[in-house]
Amino acid sequence: MASNWLMFLAVAACVGVIVLGLILFPLVRWRRRKGDAEPPQFANNYPLEIAWTVIPLVMVGGLFVATYRAEARVDAVSDHPAAIVAVEAYRWGWTFAYRGGPTVGGASNGPASLGVAQGMPELVLPLGETTRIELWAADVDHGFWIPDFLFKRDAIPGQTTAFDLSPTKLGTFEGRCSAFCGLQHESMLFRVRVVTPGAFVAWEKART
Amino acid sequence: MTVGLRLFLSSAGFGIAIALAYWFTSREIVGTFMLGVMAFGLSFVAGYMIVAEREADLIGDEKNATIQSGAGELVGTYTVTSPLPLGSAVAVTCIGLGIVVSPVIAVLGILAVLAFGALFVIQSR
Amino acid sequence: MGESADVSAVAVPAMPEAAERHDLLSWLTTTDHKRIGILYLLTSLAYFGVSGILSLMMRTQLARPNNTFLDAHQYAQLFTLHGTAMIFLFVAPFAFGLANFLIPLQIGAADMAFPRLNATSYWLFLFGGLVVFLGAATNEGAAASGWTAYPPLSEIRVSTGLGQDLWIVGVFLVSVATIVTSINFVTTVFIFRAPGMTMWRIPIFTWEMVATSLLVFMAFPSLAATLLLLFVDRHMGGHAFDPAYGGSPVLWDHLFWFFGHPEVYVMILPYFGVISEIVPVFSRKPIFGYTGLVLAAFAIAGLSMGVWAHHMFTTGVVNNPFFAFVSFLIAVPTGVKFFNWIATMWRGSISFETPMLFAIGFLLNFLIGGITGVMLASPPIDYQAHDSYFVVAHFHYVLGGGSLFAIFAALFFWWPKMFGVKLDETLGKWCFGLLFVGFNVTFLPMHFMGVMGMPRRVFTYDAGGPLPTLNLIATFGSYIMFAGVALYVVNAIVSARTRIPVGSDPWSANSLEWWTSSPPPEHNFESLPPIRSERPVYDARVARA
Repeated sequence: MASNWLMFLAVAACVGVIVLGLILFPLVRWRRRKGDAEPPQFANNYPLEIAWTVIPLVMVGGLFVATYRAEARVDAVSDHPAAIVAVEAYRWGWTFAYRGGPTVGGASNGPASLGVAQGMPELVLPLGETTRIELWAADVDHGFWIPDFLFKRDAIPGQTTAFDLSPTKLGTFEGRCSAFCGLQHESMLFRVRVVTPGAFVAWEKART
Repeated sequence: MTVGLRLFLSSAGFGIAIALAYWFTSREIVGTFMLGVMAFGLSFVAGYMIVAEREADLIGDEKNATIQSGAGELVGTYTVTSPLPLGSAVAVTCIGLGIVVSPVIAVLGILAVLAFGALFVIQSR
Repeated sequence: MGESADVSAVAVPAMPEAAERHDLLSWLTTTDHKRIGILYLLTSLAYFGVSGILSLMMRTQLARPNNTFLDAHQYAQLFTLHGTAMIFLFVAPFAFGLANFLIPLQIGAADMAFPRLNATSYWLFLFGGLVVFLGAATNEGAAASGWTAYPPLSEIRVSTGLGQDLWIVGVFLVSVATIVTSINFVTTVFIFRAPGMTMWRIPIFTWEMVATSLLVFMAFPSLAATLLLLFVDRHMGGHAFDPAYGGSPVLWDHLFWFFGHPEVYVMILPYFGVISEIVPVFSRKPIFGYTGLVLAAFAIAGLSMGVWAHHMFTTGVVNNPFFAFVSFLIAVPTGVKFFNWIATMWRGSISFETPMLFAIGFLLNFLIGGITGVMLASPPIDYQAHDSYFVVAHFHYVLGGGSLFAIFAALFFWWPKMFGVKLDETLGKWCFGLLFVGFNVTFLPMHFMGVMGMPRRVFTYDAGGPLPTLNLIATFGSYIMFAGVALYVVNAIVSARTRIPVGSDPWSANSLEWWTSSPPPEHNFESLPPIRSERPVYDARVARA
């Protein structure tokens, strides 16, 4: 997904610079000087107008195709995930119920501050394998967001939504609630810890 | 066909097209219903315009009309001031507030709206 | 041009009427579109002022992490009122006020089609806004679930106070006012054009208002109905959004955003019109691509009805590709408009009076906002950016950098016509400078804040990392913006004191409102020039030369 971001940023930069130039150039080149005669009063150029309709149309078509492909990859849900975790979002904390494993998590305490040792619900994921998350909310809309994964999904009461996480890097990552859910929304954090598959199995065994 | 009619006809056509496109790509009822209602509303306006006046014969639509050609007999005078707008707005606001805060205010609001509505109608004769 | 030799203006027979009164009662009972327009402008600017103060308070709270200037509940009320006021009580009503003032003048009519209804709309708007803010005076405070009021958060068991109900009533009143006003606009433009003012000769601003009105017809009824549904849920045992009884919060999302997305186009199309009026005047050229601009306006309006669920990409229950596709498509007519404005300036003779400075600011800011908008149309990008400060940056760039700058451009451009005095140019240029710098210093960092993981609607954030510095910069920028706005208020007061009178056409402009005196007489026109193009005042000036 990072590649999708980079592609868009590249296109955005190119388009932005070109149009910026087109805006600024007339302001400099044709600024009014004393004694200027009235400029030529042209108001149409049909080939140009068609061109600047068709070319952007083709460009957004291309962007759409690239986007469609990227989204298909991101949204794909595997048939055989290595682990399945039912995630419940509630005011104000997270419960992670591993199928065939432990149920962990709890309230997120205190103001936003990464590295709070206790009271931070922790989602443990195996590196290089696919974990299916089945997400729902108990009370109001919440958002399951892991910024380092460039991904979020909304947790909505009354429905369960599924997505796959396939982490590619070991480490600890921030998770937070993205949908405004009330007065402790900003402290509804969680931690994501990606460990080797071996360590993951050990962790599950120790907790159950 | 006036520009206005063409506008509503093409909008209605677009509404029908996008409602259908949305249904067949998404099979999602809420959005389809909303788009369908929108298409229906636009079609209704277009249909009414067709039935009521296909050609409006407006002086504004004549490309080469002179200003003199728009002159005519006095068709009426605008009321430049009127207490009805402020009064009606206060009354409607009372209904809204009353529903939330106190039924008495709501009832007073309804009565006032009826009174102002009647005055509107009488003044328009 | 070049038909009948009679290019002299023709006097409109004087209507028998009393002299125009200026007392309070005459303003309270007015049905004159010009006065109603000015009331709309002043009221919406007042709501802007209040909402701006709220945003300064929010930025002050966010200047440092773990700040204690505001608590969570106060902060939530502030961002709810700020969003509601800016959207429902400022940006859109300002446009309607401007349209109220300008449309009859631009098409050569004496007033709107339904003058009393016009005035009723204004008062409903004023009172609706007051009802929303009334919530702040209640026990549990104003509504605090955001301007989007998502259930279940906005349902009675979570948002227990009267504030949420007052919000529902107030916004409902404003919706009614908006729909009624749009009926007035379309009827007036269709029926009351002066002789020779065909639909293809009306100014682009008037065309944009027709497109805006069409959007209002299609979108606002959904809002009104959805608000009623929420009220029924809260107080009459309804369960439309309650999953325990077979309802769904996603239903609200669909219904609200079916209105909500067209609403943002309601908030930008009029301002596209403003730019289309100002750029030609200060480039001394006609607007380029008139037909293309009109078709683009309706393309935008139509397509905007089909993109609503791009606000729901992260729910996992909508057809993301459909909405991504249509959202990408909207970029095309918007781009067409940009190219038309650039082509208007191309090989022109450009001067930099304050209205033009703000118009240029609009182009630069909206370019950024438009580009981030196209990015957000991509679901994978949105998966990161949604509900983060990246989105906050995007919509502030299009609404603040875009609409707000066009609002100031419009104020400086049409102030002479409305009040018969010019705003001071030097103060105006300083106002622009402060606003342009302040705006970008405030909102450019927010793109990065969002991508780095700062969610929106939070009253504090991580103490570690770059967020504290970025937030401090943004807060500093907001104070600069405040200075710019304050300078505008000073300018208005100064111009009222010094009262340098202007003639009917201080800018050498094009459209019909510049034919009549500044300010116009009660019945708008003592005479009218022949109307043979979309620039009747320009044509008359050329014919006189």
